[in-house]
Amino acid sequence: MASAQPKIKSKVRCLDGEVGEIVHVIADPISLEISHIVVRANGTQRQVPASAIAAVRDDSVELLCNAAQIAGYPEHKPDDFLTSKQVEIPHLENKVHVEPGDLLVPFPVLEKSCPRRNFFAGFIHVIGALIALPLAWPVLRFITKPMYAPYDNHWIKIGNVSKIKTEDVGVQYIFKKAFTDSVLQREEDKNHWVIKATPEVLKKIYKHGDISFTDEKGEVIWVNKQTVPYVAFAGKCPHLGCGYKWRSHKTLGQVFLCPCHLSIYDNTGKVLDGPAPRPLDVLPIKVSATGDIEIIDVEYKAGKSELVRIA
Amino acid sequence: MSHPATAISSVKLAWALSWAAFWTGFPFKVIVALLLLAAQVHPWEGTGLITLLMVSAPIDIWALGLTARTFFLERMGIEVRGPVGIGLWWQGAVLGAGMLGVAYYAVGTTAALCKKAAEATLGVVKKVIPIPVAEQITIELLMWAVPATIVLIMCLLIWLKLFGWRIKRFVVASGQTSSAGLQERVREWDAWRVPADSVLMLISFTAVAVLLTVAFWVLLPVTTPHRHPDYPPPQADAVKKKVKPEELLKKTEGTLAKAEAVLGSLEEEKAKEKKGKPKGK
Amino acid sequence: MNALLQKVYDFVDERIDLKTLEAKMMKEPIKGGSRWAYVFGSVLLFIFIMQAVTGVLLMFYYIPSADHAYASTQFIIHEVDYGWFILSYHFWGSSAMVVMVFAHMSQVFLWGAYKTPREMIWLVGLALFGIVMAFGFTGYLLPWDQRAYWATTVGVEIMDKTPVVGDFLARFLKGGPTPGQMTLSRFFVIHVMVLPGALMGLAGLHLFLFRSAGPAGPFRGTPEELKAKTDFFFPRQVWKDIVAMAAVFLTICSLALIEPVVLLEEAKPDPGDYHPEPEWYFLFLFQLLRWKIFAGEFGQFLGATAIPAAFMLLLAALPFIDRSPERNIFKRPIALLSWTVVMIGILVLTVSAIINREFLD
Ligand code: FES
Repeated sequence: MASAQPKIKSKVRCLDGEVGEIVHVIADPISLEISHIVVRANGTQRQVPASAIAAVRDDSVELLCNAAQIAGYPEHKPDDFLTSKQVEIPHLENKVHVEPGDLLVPFPVLEKSCPRRNFFAGFIHVIGALIALPLAWPVLRFITKPMYAPYDNHWIKIGNVSKIKTEDVGVQYIFKKAFTDSVLQREEDKNHWVIKATPEVLKKIYKHGDISFTDEKGEVIWVNKQTVPYVAFAGKCPHLGCGYKWRSHKTLGQVFLCPCHLSIYDNTGKVLDGPAPRPLDVLPIKVSATGDIEIIDVEYKAGKSELVRIA
Repeated sequence: MSHPATAISSVKLAWALSWAAFWTGFPFKVIVALLLLAAQVHPWEGTGLITLLMVSAPIDIWALGLTARTFFLERMGIEVRGPVGIGLWWQGAVLGAGMLGVAYYAVGTTAALCKKAAEATLGVVKKVIPIPVAEQITIELLMWAVPATIVLIMCLLIWLKLFGWRIKRFVVASGQTSSAGLQERVREWDAWRVPADSVLMLISFTAVAVLLTVAFWVLLPVTTPHRHPDYPPPQADAVKKKVKPEELLKKTEGTLAKAEAVLGSLEEEKAKEKKGKPKGK
Repeated sequence: MNALLQKVYDFVDERIDLKTLEAKMMKEPIKGGSRWAYVFGSVLLFIFIMQAVTGVLLMFYYIPSADHAYASTQFIIHEVDYGWFILSYHFWGSSAMVVMVFAHMSQVFLWGAYKTPREMIWLVGLALFGIVMAFGFTGYLLPWDQRAYWATTVGVEIMDKTPVVGDFLARFLKGGPTPGQMTLSRFFVIHVMVLPGALMGLAGLHLFLFRSAGPAGPFRGTPEELKAKTDFFFPRQVWKDIVAMAAVFLTICSLALIEPVVLLEEAKPDPGDYHPEPEWYFLFLFQLLRWKIFAGEFGQFLGATAIPAAFMLLLAALPFIDRSPERNIFKRPIALLSWTVVMIGILVLTVSAIINREFLD
């Protein structure tokens, strides 16, 4: 079968002699067989049906008609055809080989009008987008739900002042914080630092006056006053959130030192050295008659020079 | 003279048109149903049903018109001028409404009668051979559902027959045989699916859809409308305490003053203690 | 802007021959023209993608632990904004998937599209059917409420009775002799990792095989008619696919609104008022097992293992048994009759199971 296939450039002979050569081969997309050959004869291209072929030889094809009848076949219209490379017809190229040159298949009539194709293509995009759209807002709300949880303004007892033996020295308070974490009731270890400040140190800490704390709406929920000698520093380094320690430094003496990027703060929270953009964060503090320290676990965004409350 | 419309059976004709028209209109109707549901209105009763039916009528008229003209041209080679949709729809709807009533009565009666008969028969049979519950359920179901389904299908067939007969009359009365070949006819009905100004169509379609989507967002409840009894709705924050900053501050100052006094005494004590001890660390 | 896009296109085209790829993907002539009957495969792909999207969203909040699975699912329903809707969409999406699998298989069966040279597509399709069912079975346990727990217990017990491998299979799924945390972990990981991976791989193979063999086309029509209606996969078939997807999407949304997911009590060793029942698409099998002939150990084996396995084997062997090239369903009376009987059987048994509920109160 393969050997009997008409080839491009084969001579075409009619009953009464040679008329021209094959320039294209056309396949039927359904039967996957050659349906026509296109013959160039006398300067025109004629579409000759496969049924008119008498025999296929190595380099020529013999037709059942005579030369005059060739002109009776319809002229080949290139616009009505596509090459087999431009479409996907499984197995076509296994069954019909055309070398060199292109195997032609009919251009589906319904696909010829551009405006119609464009209309359907346009609708595909519009409907595709519209399927996604109704879910866009609900999905956004769904995933962002816990991201902007309200602040926790509860007072938490973190320990007793009796732990502090020396003034102006950082004392670590490790305490358990109980909270609801999605569906879990969890307890987490947290740590903050408290100093009992002498009046000089207090004056430095309160150099801008009372320190007030606000909720989401900007309403004041608490004010720290210079009259209380106890000051709590949040255990989170304002640089990038590591945990810092109270350490003695070779040249600076007793300081708060963060091991991550070596930010150093004095006992007023002021940055002495290192990359920290702002002093240590002061927490709302309350000391009861029995010396119990209570704080609000306020948290600010790290890495900012101004205070941006996040929790 | 044999009209091309007479070559096809009425039932097949009516089925082909109504089946295609049903699915053509379906997506549009679901949009309406979905919006009603999002607004917590049931589209199968009361105002919901009325709204859905009101919206469905024009959709069905359009869908029936489109599918009918396609079918006439493609299968029969007949072109129908004038409004096809409305001309066929009202006949189908009137017949359908009548048939629905008949079917409701007929199917209901058949099912009720057959249920009784099944119960009686099984009661007798059970005395001879025991039938377990699961088998009994299926046998009983078959005994009344099969006749009821047959009656239902009969009603459907009668409706299709009548509707098909009307469609044929309509085609014979207002159709003209098309002279175009098959390829040309296919091209033609394909073209009907594309509006004259397709860009305008696309834009308005998108605009309407976006509006409906926004309506959907507004209507869709944020939390479930069917709460589990163990998860009561939050108390709507009705008893939220009003925060008065001045009061709070005053209270704070009072506490602070008290604390300071206590602290003062504590410190004094400590200072005394310290004196006695050597400095640690 | 367009010039820039053109540049990007040209860049990619130069490297991966985008034009040929596009031609091969999009310009596949569909003999007889695009049809609504061909949308089911694409719709299934769409439902799967939506299940993956909503499933991933649910995993943002779900905790696969026996202590927290129930609470976290309730949290999704009651606390997270629109969580109830996304969960309900996922729930109804699974039902839609099963319905569409049945529709797709029916279409292929009725159109005779499983016949030579498309046997391999059919076989891979059957494997995909199994995966969809496994998705339903494993997902059912995850909320860890009474319904979930008891349906799974019964399901695993049924599997346990499979000869030879049953005991191993049941222990493998339970992660031990009795259901517990290990069961939940296994079902979770199978549901969210193993099955999606398997489905993606097999669906890819399914599509590849489909493209290699080419679409079957309609089962009747003259070549002239087929050619006249021929169009490309893109845009007309894609347009039909996407309209069908939109309709399915809207339907699933509507169902989620009509019947949102409401959990029962948290799973506990006493089923209480609840009568254990599997998901509706397993109901017919469940009801079958209530019949007397399927009582006892052998009956159990017959109903729960032998018959379903024989049915699946028959389906797998179908293209090799049925070798006649005739595709027109109206000329294949046995095929039409068997399909009708199976469908009616499933319907009748499912309705029976629903009626059966009344007998339990
Ligand atoms: S985090 Fe503390 S210095 Fe960087």
